[in-house]
Amino acid sequence: MTDTPHCLVIDESLMVRRVAARIIRDFGYDVLDAKTGQDALDMARMRLPDVILLDWQIGDMSATDVIDDIRSLPDGEKTRIIFCTAQRSLERIRAALSAGADEYIMKPFDSDIIESKFRLAGLPVIRVIQTDAA
Amino acid sequence: MRGALSLKPSYYEALKRLTLELAGVRMGSDHAFLVETRLASLARDEGYASLDAMIEELFGSGQTRLAVRVVSALVERDTHFNRDPQSLDILENFAMDALSEVRGGGRVDILSYGCGSGQDVYSIAMRAEARRERGELNNIKVNITGIDYPSQALERARTGRYTHFEVQRGLHAEDLVRWFIPTGDDEWQIVPEIRDRVDFQEMHLLSGLEDLTLYHAVVFRGALSHYSAPAQVRVLRGLAKLIRPYGYLLLGTGEHIGEMHFGLDPVAGAPGLYRKRDVVVPVVEPEPVGKQPTERRTFGPRKGKDHRQATS
Repeated sequence: MTDTPHCLVIDESLMVRRVAARIIRDFGYDVLDAKTGQDALDMARMRLPDVILLDWQIGDMSATDVIDDIRSLPDGEKTRIIFCTAQRSLERIRAALSAGADEYIMKPFDSDIIESKFRLAGLPVIRVIQTDAA
Repeated sequence: MRGALSLKPSYYEALKRLTLELAGVRMGSDHAFLVETRLASLARDEGYASLDAMIEELFGSGQTRLAVRVVSALVERDTHFNRDPQSLDILENFAMDALSEVRGGGRVDILSYGCGSGQDVYSIAMRAEARRERGELNNIKVNITGIDYPSQALERARTGRYTHFEVQRGLHAEDLVRWFIPTGDDEWQIVPEIRDRVDFQEMHLLSGLEDLTLYHAVVFRGALSHYSAPAQVRVLRGLAKLIRPYGYLLLGTGEHIGEMHFGLDPVAGAPGLYRKRDVVVPVVEPEPVGKQPTERRTFGPRKGKDHRQATS
């Protein structure tokens, strides 16, 4: 475990960032979070994340611009980008996929959904094995 | 967790026995909390004042219909779309390809044994339809029949409607937008072209198999280990009889049919996939053996049953 995978959560809501980060840490990831697209891109330039959780609604820039900027970084094509948003229409999901997103999570989410979407995007998920001891 | 249970321990033990007798399924310790949540929901549905009231009625009156509802609620396992995707890949890439060659077009019938809330059935249908749309598989139409005990899960399977949470487990976003339509009340409905390819039948999984027709493939994934040893033999023998001569049985990844072959051969390079042997014409002895067969014709528990002869 020398190379812990790295996740960046971009969401305006502190609550969502906290909940998502807690779930994803349990999958064996280092998690950073950002409230704005610019903060997120600064962090991504320091260390390119393996996966980004991204809302449509981020104040300072459009989500598709964030995707384009990430993709233009060295190795940026390798980063998995998963939308995580309250927008649930077919049009928004199609728009996200054609903008280059790998997967799409509709809020509200739980750990099962995030785990499933990580696996579908080809990302490793470490699950703590539950024992029957309890 | 145990402290949260309100049901009397003696009832819990009785439910375990009932499930083993009726469905051949052993309820493990992981079932303890399911008893409460699933049966409470069933009790509401069936119009009982409480879970206790339903259980008392069950063991008091011995109602068969209620027993089947209770047991089917207990044996239902949590499922999701594309569960065990490796084994579905094997179905798609080995079995469907081979069947489409043998069939050379037309129809392929698949049985999903213990289909629960239907995600397995729809997952197979989506894969088959996607390949057909790409002009592959000799343009065969794949029909899938899901069977299970009469249950809330099976009723939901029939509707083809899934919740916000269900469509996000195991299903690629791409497949969601391709094969589902939002209903407006936070659910998603499978598109008609997939619904037309599937149907669901209520059935007692241990005793109803003899009434079914023959299938080109039978899918029975991820459940074998839940059955008691005698029930495993009974189920596998019953399913093997439903498979056409060049057809397949698909188990889950890591599952095996065991010592008895049931007239099936493992397919090399495709773990969990078994191919039915060619038709055995009973009069002809392919290899003469020194020992003559005895009068005994069946080793099964059911007496006087005729052997269904598989033909195409």
